[in-house]
Amino acid sequence: MKKTLIASLLLGMFAVPAMAADAIKIAITGPFSGGSAPMGTSMRDGAKLAVAEINAAGGINVAGKKKMIEIIERDDEGKNERGALIGQELASMSDLSGVIGSVNTGVVVAGDKHLQEKGITKIITPAAGSASMNQWSKAGVKDLSIFRFAADDAIQSAMVVEDAISHKFTKAAILYDSTNYGVSGHDDLVDQIKKQGNKLAVVASEKFNIGDKDMTAQLLSAKAGGAQVILIWGIGPEMAAVSNGMAKLGMKMPLIGGWTLSMSNYIDNAGKNGNGTLMPQTFIEEATTPHVKSFIEGYHKAYNVTRIPSPVSAAQGYDAIYIFAAAVKQAGSDDTHKIKLALEDLREPVKGVISTWKHPFSKWDPANELTHEAFRRADVVMGKIQDGHVVFAEQADRQRLIKSDSK
Amino acid sequence: MLKRLLLLRGTELVALVLLASIPLVVNNSYALGLLTLLTIYGILLIGLDVTVGYLGQVNLAQAAFLGLGAYAAGLSVTVLGFGIPAALGVSMLIGLVMGALLAFPALRLEGPQFALATLSFSALCTTVLNEWESLTGGAQGLSLSRPAMLGHAMKASGFYWLCLVLLALVWMAMRNLLSSQWGRAFEALRDSPIATDAMGVGTFRHKVAGFALGSSLGGLAGGLYAFNFEYLQPQTFNYDMMVVLLLGVVLGGRKSLWGAFFGASLIVLLPNLLSSRLLFEIISGLGFLLAVVAGGRGLLKKTTQPFQAIAPVVAMGILVAGGFMVENTENWRKAIFALMLFSVVVGLPDGIMGFAAQYLARLFGIKSAALPAASMLDDVLPANTRDLGVLLELKNLKRYFGGVKAVDGVSISIQKGHVHGLIGPNGSGKSTVVNVISGLYAPTSGEVLLLGKPLPAGSLFSVARAGVSRTFQNLQLFGELSALDNVMLALKDAYRIPVLLVLLGFSRAEDRRAQAEALALLELAGLADQARVRAKDLTYGSQRFLEIARALARKPELLILDEPAAGLAHPDVAVLVEMIRTIKRRGITTILIEHHMDVVSKLCDQVTVVDGGQVIARGTPDEVNRDPQVIKAYLGVVPDEIIPA
Amino acid sequence: MNSIIIVQMAVSGALMGLVYALIAYGFQLTYATSKSINFGQGELVMLSAFFSLTLLDAGLPYWLMVPGGLLFGAMMGLVVERACVRLSLEQKSEGWILLTIIFGLLSFSAAENIWGRDDRPFPSPISADAFNVFGISITPLELSVAIGVFAVMGLIELFKHKTLLGKAFEAVSADRDAAELMGISATRTIMLSFGLSGMVAAMAGILISPITTVGPTMASALILKAFSVAVVAGLDSGFGVVLIGIALGALESLTSFYLGSGWREAPGLILLIMALALRPNGVFGKANIRKV
Repeated sequence: MKKTLIASLLLGMFAVPAMAADAIKIAITGPFSGGSAPMGTSMRDGAKLAVAEINAAGGINVAGKKKMIEIIERDDEGKNERGALIGQELASMSDLSGVIGSVNTGVVVAGDKHLQEKGITKIITPAAGSASMNQWSKAGVKDLSIFRFAADDAIQSAMVVEDAISHKFTKAAILYDSTNYGVSGHDDLVDQIKKQGNKLAVVASEKFNIGDKDMTAQLLSAKAGGAQVILIWGIGPEMAAVSNGMAKLGMKMPLIGGWTLSMSNYIDNAGKNGNGTLMPQTFIEEATTPHVKSFIEGYHKAYNVTRIPSPVSAAQGYDAIYIFAAAVKQAGSDDTHKIKLALEDLREPVKGVISTWKHPFSKWDPANELTHEAFRRADVVMGKIQDGHVVFAEQADRQRLIKSDSK
Repeated sequence: MLKRLLLLRGTELVALVLLASIPLVVNNSYALGLLTLLTIYGILLIGLDVTVGYLGQVNLAQAAFLGLGAYAAGLSVTVLGFGIPAALGVSMLIGLVMGALLAFPALRLEGPQFALATLSFSALCTTVLNEWESLTGGAQGLSLSRPAMLGHAMKASGFYWLCLVLLALVWMAMRNLLSSQWGRAFEALRDSPIATDAMGVGTFRHKVAGFALGSSLGGLAGGLYAFNFEYLQPQTFNYDMMVVLLLGVVLGGRKSLWGAFFGASLIVLLPNLLSSRLLFEIISGLGFLLAVVAGGRGLLKKTTQPFQAIAPVVAMGILVAGGFMVENTENWRKAIFALMLFSVVVGLPDGIMGFAAQYLARLFGIKSAALPAASMLDDVLPANTRDLGVLLELKNLKRYFGGVKAVDGVSISIQKGHVHGLIGPNGSGKSTVVNVISGLYAPTSGEVLLLGKPLPAGSLFSVARAGVSRTFQNLQLFGELSALDNVMLALKDAYRIPVLLVLLGFSRAEDRRAQAEALALLELAGLADQARVRAKDLTYGSQRFLEIARALARKPELLILDEPAAGLAHPDVAVLVEMIRTIKRRGITTILIEHHMDVVSKLCDQVTVVDGGQVIARGTPDEVNRDPQVIKAYLGVVPDEIIPA
Repeated sequence: MNSIIIVQMAVSGALMGLVYALIAYGFQLTYATSKSINFGQGELVMLSAFFSLTLLDAGLPYWLMVPGGLLFGAMMGLVVERACVRLSLEQKSEGWILLTIIFGLLSFSAAENIWGRDDRPFPSPISADAFNVFGISITPLELSVAIGVFAVMGLIELFKHKTLLGKAFEAVSADRDAAELMGISATRTIMLSFGLSGMVAAMAGILISPITTVGPTMASALILKAFSVAVVAGLDSGFGVVLIGIALGALESLTSFYLGSGWREAPGLILLIMALALRPNGVFGKANIRKV
């Protein structure tokens, strides 16, 4: 008896929540709670800011009719199981136009197959490791509805290694967290060192766990090996513990790592020990242009903060929505498949805060993942931490971005 | 009776048919995904309920067994090329073996220590899975694809039916097992390990078996989990997941298959329920009403304490009020989960299904199953031919606790068929003497001979198996078990069916016979009409009699009664005396520790008096009553040292 | 060079171990009187740290913040006792295990929403710049943690042995029923122990936050270690936790260096299971005689 009640409750839940007709439904997923929440929530809030702007301007012109965007939020908690369930849930919604989000590689691997099965368009942003795309190229999928809007690890690790070599270092230690993200980042770094001519010797490869506060053992390994530079791949405040540990042990070598070093949980917690840390960035929270300025101020005002927890995530979420909206407009439809086709051939440039996106994606070719990757080496700059802020490591990059915007 | 069977089995059948037919009616991958996960968690929680519900231990390793099983299945497929059935077999086996291995060191532990041992094991498993990269792929995960089964590709609905069939099989097997002697032994362990051993039911093998069983179900669920998600990462099976599992069992209701299933539904569905604002408001509103009604009724009828009634109302009130204040309920999901759980744990200690089961049983007038007619007492406890000779001999027995000489050179010999009184002032060492005989303590030196052969030293279980049975000064009943089950648990030589056949349900006839025998003993103790009452709900006097009936179920050579009249009201003492006389007529040799001299005088053939750990007098009751040393000992010479009880 | 590295690691590990010990001590306090522990103790550490940070943000000077934080911790300890423990103790059930886990869950979620999901720095007047002793780097901040740990534990032990209230505490720990017969209210003593335990948790939060930073998950890794230390040392071992804490911390560092940092926790965990199997009441715990 109890059972039938549950069953009917169950059945009731499959019905997609009723929403205003004639809206374009976009799901935003990501870790909004738990360890990688700063990235997930910043991305979500950046995306919602873009949605609010588009809706305030009257919506998107779809085949002559203005349509509003409606958002469905799903918190995957950074858990694969939730990712798979959310993937199934979204795949079963008949009127969903697309999905934007994800941070954790495992969640993407567990969940995206359900979306791909139903051909639902998804833009992965702000993160997710290499496996999120190469699972499709490896499988030789012919027609892919998954796009990635993130600086992929290969680009980032190439830049990190380049930077280390350009400073004439010969001995490096790699520190990485024990999650999928850290381990695959480590592999990418080792790969890049080989590709760039083995000019760096890896004298120590050390892991740390999420939540570790004492990095002495790992750092001493690096020190004992005579490392001149420390390359790091991780997500959260553990990287700040590394910087603080280095200061304590009097290790004055530079720290170079993935873009996550620009998150406030590194910058704040490393404090002055974070000065000089280098990492590739797709976006730097500095009002270089009026457009960027209005985005940053808009974000601060809308969410009542003085600094974005993860500016990169927020900017990517923001730009991803604009790109998606452009595809809807071009397709003249809210049909997810037509939007996918439009995304693969965006004719109008999209003005975002990271860059002006000109034809970011093209038709999927399993032999070339870049067809569904928006970011190229030129879209990424080296950032440096200075007194609690991320600044351009190279003034040339700053000038270039200002110039390209004014074009 | 038919009605009972019809309702209970009928509900299960209807539920199964309903669940099985959903994929035929609803074509929705999401619904199917949820249902599949529900069945997997159902199996997992039924396994967890064995340790948490029946064994009563906080087990924090079930998530690890899920992970081990998942990886075992995944590797069986990717490395060894096994099919689904073989891979699931490997998963179960891994759970079984690892569960048994973990049970060994964890055996001696209780409460927080047990929780910690299982928690450490989980952390160790995650570390190994994460670091053994060459095998498991480490943090980057293990991808696999569901192999074909019986030549057919397994689609989502087919896999769901497979999971459902396995859940049904597990359900039936566990129902059979848990209603057999095994289930009783698990529960007995929780209530009193000492008495479980003393009744010749090994705590050791039952604890290991229970834990291994629960773990193997965890492994099986893990195998299914692997085939469901087709992608595994070690970090999935962490402490967070374990907490959710534990709460699922408690929320659903412990010691109940339905409870485990309901808990699984909650775990799987709750996150989804909260993603719709309207559903959340409905649920929180209903919860609040339920708390007010249940709490109010409890208060009016005075069945619950004020805190128990008010706290859930407050918690649900916060939930409702919070619902209006908070912008995004999704952000507060854990807090919402916590408030609901708090209300259930405080307000409905038996879980939601426990509460519902009571309510439904009353609604439909379901009564307990009828009992068979009692056996003849002569068949259960055949009267012994009165052969003479010495049954038990203590030779210069010593037991010291540190510097305290609780027993210091006691020699006694006890004749077959006698009731032998053992008396002495408080702290004289008489309890320690019987604790050494019954194996609770090993002697410091000296010998204990039963029929000329030495009794095993320091093992309650072995001594019980050798034919010694006892009661306890401080009652050691299995409080959560019925009076009948208390006696049935102890019945000697009643259970011979091997465990595999028990799982298949072949132990019913045996159980029926045991019930009849146990009823005969309950009649002897005057408790036949209270057979179904939980031991802890009996009156104090009845509890004392029940312990004697339980001890008799061992059909002992030697029965030890440790102060059976302590705390008894006068009329009950008379009943007790009659009971011991009946036992004596059956020819059972008895050691009686007692303070009531009139009881001793009425019953005992021989009496030994101990004081300060030594024998100060022996003889017939009349002889020792007149002994000047005995009188001195009783009239107030305080012993120099205090001896532990 | 090599021996300096080993000593440096042992010292850093040991300092971490002292933090485990302090949190473990909080477990002991409540276990002594009520045979129960707060599985949400880690969240108590975290809540107190956040609350103290809020006091600092509100402009309170550091030394005034400390008593405020401690008071908050004590109050939360009392809340745990009232809401999660008292009923179970009255019913002689183990419901407290689940209720305290639930308390942790609620606190975690509340902290996430009230203070944010991000880790934040916690300012301290004590310098984090290292100085060198025989080639070993130690920061004054780390030293302050060590001193703080000993001071808190010492003061509470002093309180237990020198004051009347403390003696009542000891009496209830030794034999609850006998103490009640002597007119000592066990309920009040248990409240006291939870209050003290909450205060110890708050102290731990204030002491370690400048090193570990403050965030909802700040204590989740620590708490498992602290729990291990408490049980391995024995839940009634007093200063035993300090030795075991230091040993575990140092062992972790050394394992990390020699076996690879991924295996950091493995030897500790294996030793733990073995220690439990051999001495269920802990290395320094009192063995109890089975009574019937």
